[in-house]
Amino acid sequence: MMKKIGILIRKEMLDILRDKKTLIMMILVPIVLYPLLIIGMTFVLNSVMSASEETSYTVAFDKEYADTVADLRELMAQNPEEFEEDVEFLAMDGKGTSAVADATLRLEEETDGRLRVEIAYDSTNMNSAHVCQMLVDVMEAYRQKLVAEGLAELDLDERFLYPVICTTVDEVSEAESFGVSIGGSIGMMLIVMILMGALYPAIDTTAGEKERGTLETLLTLPVTNFQMIFSKFVSVAIIACVTALLSLVSLAGSVLFLIFGVAGDMVMEFGFSAGTMLGALPMLFVTMIVTALLSSALCMCFCVFAKSFKEANNYVTPLLLVVMIASMAGMLPSVELDQKTVLIPIVNVSLMMKQVLSQQFSFALAGVANLVNLCVSILIIWFLAKMYDSENILFADGFRSFRLFVKRSDVKEGTVPDNGDVMLGVTVLFLLLIYVGSVASARLGFWGTAVSQLMILAVPLLLVWYMKSDVRSLFSLNAPRKRSVPGSILLYMGTYCLIMVLSVALMALFPESMENVELAFSPMTEQPFVFILLVVALMPAIGEEILFRGLMFGSIRANWLNRHPKEPAVKAAVYAILISAAVFGVFHMSLVKFFTTFLLGALFAYIVYKTGSIYVTMGLHFVNNAVSMMAMKYPEAVGKVLPFLMEEELSVGEIVGLLLAGVLLMALGLALLEGKRKKAG
Amino acid sequence: MIEVRGLCKEFERSRRAEGTVGKSRKHRVKKETFLAVDHVSIEACEGEIVGILGPNGAGKTTLLRMMGMLMSPTEGDVVLTDDTGNEITELTQKKAAIGYLSGNTKLYPRFSVREYLRFLGELYGFDKEMIQMRSEEIFRVLDMEGFADNRIEKLSTGQTQRASIARCLMADPRVYILDEPTLGLDILSADAIIRFMKEQKEKGKTVLYSTHYLEEAQILCDRVYMIRDGKIVAQGTPAALMQQTKTDNLRTAFHVIYDEAGGV
Repeated sequence: MMKKIGILIRKEMLDILRDKKTLIMMILVPIVLYPLLIIGMTFVLNSVMSASEETSYTVAFDKEYADTVADLRELMAQNPEEFEEDVEFLAMDGKGTSAVADATLRLEEETDGRLRVEIAYDSTNMNSAHVCQMLVDVMEAYRQKLVAEGLAELDLDERFLYPVICTTVDEVSEAESFGVSIGGSIGMMLIVMILMGALYPAIDTTAGEKERGTLETLLTLPVTNFQMIFSKFVSVAIIACVTALLSLVSLAGSVLFLIFGVAGDMVMEFGFSAGTMLGALPMLFVTMIVTALLSSALCMCFCVFAKSFKEANNYVTPLLLVVMIASMAGMLPSVELDQKTVLIPIVNVSLMMKQVLSQQFSFALAGVANLVNLCVSILIIWFLAKMYDSENILFADGFRSFRLFVKRSDVKEGTVPDNGDVMLGVTVLFLLLIYVGSVASARLGFWGTAVSQLMILAVPLLLVWYMKSDVRSLFSLNAPRKRSVPGSILLYMGTYCLIMVLSVALMALFPESMENVELAFSPMTEQPFVFILLVVALMPAIGEEILFRGLMFGSIRANWLNRHPKEPAVKAAVYAILISAAVFGVFHMSLVKFFTTFLLGALFAYIVYKTGSIYVTMGLHFVNNAVSMMAMKYPEAVGKVLPFLMEEELSVGEIVGLLLAGVLLMALGLALLEGKRKKAG
Repeated sequence: MIEVRGLCKEFERSRRAEGTVGKSRKHRVKKETFLAVDHVSIEACEGEIVGILGPNGAGKTTLLRMMGMLMSPTEGDVVLTDDTGNEITELTQKKAAIGYLSGNTKLYPRFSVREYLRFLGELYGFDKEMIQMRSEEIFRVLDMEGFADNRIEKLSTGQTQRASIARCLMADPRVYILDEPTLGLDILSADAIIRFMKEQKEKGKTVLYSTHYLEEAQILCDRVYMIRDGKIVAQGTPAALMQQTKTDNLRTAFHVIYDEAGGV
């Protein structure tokens, strides 16, 4: 197995490396382009600046005020260090604007004896803007001189006018300001470089192979789909890594060349010491490799469908845009790497780079970010290898695993959405919740949550409408058998006991995240309890159940059964339960809540599987949310009835008790549910 | 031996719905499914060359792709047995036992033939000496010594086809499935391929191939299957088919059979 992958990787590498276009993208672009860009830009900038330094400026003025201008010139001559520029004053008639001068001084004596000065300049012209700033400084010096003379006449000094001296001090460390100012853009550049490195070989090994007709040959060889996809993935990632490394070296080389060669003092102002960053280097290296894996997986995810280079290029354009935007996260000043942002691929790399360069580096968060990205890449590759058998890759017209791309009039009655459709739906919903949902929450407050909940319900309903699915069987909209209800309730209670122990343990591990959860819910407690029940308990009980236990569990199970007609049906249920629960967990966008929601999701999916009815889990979901809302709203009353619910720390006795009760209740519930099956069967 | 039973493959095609001229664009074209291969049963034994004959679009390539494990059938099974008569069930082992060649199985253009054979040999688990030995033998048999180290993108059509044959030979499969292997080749290259098929037959291999060239099939094949619209319309030895249709060559026999089945 591994040996075959090794042979395939060697073949892919040889094939990629013999392609001149890849070599140009991989070696020539980073080695030649970046130094050219950076050094070239600096030279241009330098020459522009030095050119502007050598210029002499002309300032026009009304010749009526020649005396005032003479005073100004004297002032400038007295302070040659401050006003070193070579300025020529040009007398003219009236107060118009001179066409030849860089700026015009319009002087006017007011009736109260004060002098009004207007400096007319052209903000698009560098010389004009420069001389304007200088004139402002000259006028300020002139004003101070007049004030000092006036005060001297009255036998007073400056203390009379300025009894308070106020200055500002920026206490941010130089490293920090460096990280914030350019850390974000370096992160973005690195991500885009890696993606660019992955893009070309990804297209070449997938769509390119198909176009050249060598893929069909590859598929006649004794290799599994997984071996094939995985070896391509590893080869693309290696190329992406090498490209990124080369880019990094060439970038660093150009910057060093600048520091020690051309414009040393200009760059050194950042006061950035490379020595303190050495500690982060190994993590940076790991991050680069993981990012290369992720980019390769993302690129392949799109390119595998394409039949030709041209088509692949079209498919990856949206990907490029999304990745670019996501990689700009590090440039946003208020966005930091935390429990939530660490879960978003690409964004977490960008934020991590900002942290590294501002030398406020958290190894734990960086580790989690890399782990998340690694998991996402593996998931994508696993998904690709599973979903696209040779037939799909070779002979299908593009997106065959998405039934959504068929015109609705061509959709057959009772079509089950394919796994690709479900994932697409969830992704769209996720984006909707992030963008529309957060705007709604900001505008409408509490009722914004209701908008989000409506979207959660609307997406699966729209999907099944388009697919003309048999909603009753897909969503398990059946009345439960009376006898299966008590079993389900017991099972839920047992699981809840275990979840309580688990969340106490998680709270001890990640103390700060629990505060976040409470903060998020605190504005809700002000609402009347009926509204809270409606928005936080009833709507999720319907919407989330329809989405996760209805659409997702139902479709994945049906599709699996369809594809593996000979395998036992239990396997389909296991897959569907695990996948729907994992997505349910991720959906809650919190590292800590993932584990508990995963358990709850798995439990609910199991109950739907056993009872054949989604109404049971809707009821349980409602009770589950209602109880925790009650605990938020009326902590004292709930504390009296169910004291252990309110405690943040449990004693050993309570933990053992909860565990025992949990296992016992679960066993009882399981026995009731499983037993029914046998009798019925 | 390779055997297929009741093999079907369903495809989708667009068709203009009847009586909808002038209606909105949306309803004009309808998708419908049809059977490209319709309940086909075929068997080919050791030491036998079996021909699959039929015009373009008859379903030959789809049938051979399913037999070559590149496509999964909508219905029916492909059964492959080893020397002892046991069925080979594992997919990679099935693929290893089949040498599949068609117009679409191209070779990596940036490899030389020698490198390609080395890659294949490693994949099939051969050791270095074995790979070396087999490659040399294949080059000698197919008269490829002159261009074995050239990149495949630089080879002529005939040389490329011989390289493809070399690819199949390297694995030493039990069954050869060749989809129009002589199409568009010059006389010398085509003869080399015909010679290759005969040799494999003598070695006791199973050769299954499709062609448009009926004269070639008449002298080469032990048995032929004629396919029309995904269905088998005739089968047997060339001699039996000629006798059955009272003709003296396979080309005329083909026309008679096709006319009886509903016109070409």
